[in-house]
Amino acid sequence: MTTPADPGPGRTVPSTQPAPQTVTDRPPGAGSDTAAGTLRPARPRWRETLGLLARNPTALIAALVVLGMIVVALLDEQLAPEGPNEIDVGARLQPPSPDHPFGTDDLGRDVFSRVILGAAVSLRVGLIAVSISLVVGTLIGLLAGFYGKWVDDVLMRLMDMLFAFPAVLLAISIVAILGPGLTNTTIAIGIVYIPIFARVTRSSVLGVREEVYVRAARSVGSSDVRLLARHVLPNAAPPIIVQTSVSLAFAVLSEAALSFLGLGTQPPDPSWGLMLSEGRGYIELAWWIAVFPGLAIFLLVLSFNLLGDGLRDVLDPRQRTAMSGGRQ
Amino acid sequence: MLIGVSIIVFALIQFVPGDPVRLALGTRFSQETYDALLERSGLDQPVLQQYFTWSGRALTGDLGVSFRSGEPVTALILERLPATLTLALAAILVALLIAVPLGTLSALRPRSLVDRGATVLSQIGISVPDFWMGIVFILVFAGTLGWLPSGGYVPLTEDPWGWLQRLIMPAIVTGVVSGSVITRFVRSSVLEALGQDHVRTAQAKGLPARQVLSWHVLRNALLPLVTVTGVQLAYLLSGVVVVEIVFAWPGLGQLALQAVQARDYPVLQGAVLLFALVFLLVNLVVDLLYSRLDPRIARR
Repeated sequence: MTTPADPGPGRTVPSTQPAPQTVTDRPPGAGSDTAAGTLRPARPRWRETLGLLARNPTALIAALVVLGMIVVALLDEQLAPEGPNEIDVGARLQPPSPDHPFGTDDLGRDVFSRVILGAAVSLRVGLIAVSISLVVGTLIGLLAGFYGKWVDDVLMRLMDMLFAFPAVLLAISIVAILGPGLTNTTIAIGIVYIPIFARVTRSSVLGVREEVYVRAARSVGSSDVRLLARHVLPNAAPPIIVQTSVSLAFAVLSEAALSFLGLGTQPPDPSWGLMLSEGRGYIELAWWIAVFPGLAIFLLVLSFNLLGDGLRDVLDPRQRTAMSGGRQ
Repeated sequence: MLIGVSIIVFALIQFVPGDPVRLALGTRFSQETYDALLERSGLDQPVLQQYFTWSGRALTGDLGVSFRSGEPVTALILERLPATLTLALAAILVALLIAVPLGTLSALRPRSLVDRGATVLSQIGISVPDFWMGIVFILVFAGTLGWLPSGGYVPLTEDPWGWLQRLIMPAIVTGVVSGSVITRFVRSSVLEALGQDHVRTAQAKGLPARQVLSWHVLRNALLPLVTVTGVQLAYLLSGVVVVEIVFAWPGLGQLALQAVQARDYPVLQGAVLLFALVFLLVNLVVDLLYSRLDPRIARR
């Protein structure tokens, strides 16, 4: 069960771990003003990172799409020409037209408006769920990687157990217990992606914890909390940031899948996954009901993935091959 | 590991708020049915004893009875297992058929048009929602073109042609996602193998390119491929859940979903346990295969 990015618990071989970002690891042209980088590690510098990211056209476009979706989600009701549940029985199953750019569904609701309103649902679930996995998973990975020994063994065994369940099935089971609905779906997705954050953080921490600057800080008497917060976490962050972007993609997909299965968002609320499952019955009569929400999911997921790739190139060039893609 | 997994699966039913038996039976039921089910499920006993009874029975292949139909869970699962395994194996075949040629080609010509195309394709494949792709496939190939049936399942033994026709779409939909992930791995491991000293030596001593590729490059690239294919096979089982619903494929995923909808917790437990077992088994096989394929590991 070991992946190239993770040597698995019980094996702590920091030398084989991807080294942390130090000044010399920066891609040529990145510029390094702190040449004496032996004691002071180079932190990911935001302006520099964004600058490099902006030079990658694919990542730039992806970032713009994500940003656009966020704007759409924030402005939802002002942007949508009609309310999400305005039923117009006279205009059922209308094909796309200037009045209804994405057509209307079986109840005469405007598909375009519902797709716009669905953006907020997808993004909200994605952000909250990933926040849950990010906070819990990173904390577990930090503790496991930093303290090693039995802490590592216990925590990572637990993570392995959670990892043994297919993600969608685990989410379905959690929703089955908590009951269907948007909040429970969010919690379920959050739990499902904890192990991946724990693994990524752990293997990144393993590479950092024996660095000179960490040992130096320890030798001058820094507390564990200070060590972790000031020295380990900031330097172990790049792979975690990349994982966050990729996980947002999976979280959006998972929400759509669960809503499609009737376990997530409940009707009549607009959610892309739910719209897909409603449109499925009319696929031969009215393809637009299912096709447009699906395109929206695809676009958002693709953008998060491409953004993740771009971030990986900038922040964590060594992991490019080891971690590329791991859909679960 | 196995014990941990079994505890998680067991805990599923414990976390259900309220009385799972009452929830499953709905509003109209007789006290006798209730008592019988409660006793059979063992939920009236202390938790620890419940776990040992449940796991002891599970070891002998007894996963309890369905709250709904009263049928043994094991029988329900065995009935569905062949359909899911067929789909999973067909999908991994599709995935490899896509990934190996595409990944190798793009590694041989890095930054070429083929490479860029493959990168774009694999990114699309990873991002596309499989259930949506399934619906679009049904629209195009079953609806507009009318080439294939839109779903369902017939056993191979009864109607081989019908079986194949119904297998094609779900297998492609499930396989494309895994294939996209594997393509990236094939590309990077072939690239890595190409850069190794023994490959340069082989090229330098004038071996034909084809022989270098098959004997020196692909053999070395095979190792990571085995790992990632194994991992993907396990993940693929997860994707199968949703695809089975889209194509009305009567497999374990469909059974699990029906169990959720009917609050039939023993069936859900059984299905979840089986998926986790398959995952662990696949990983074990991968580890064993790995040391068989790479003598360096076996010798260590």
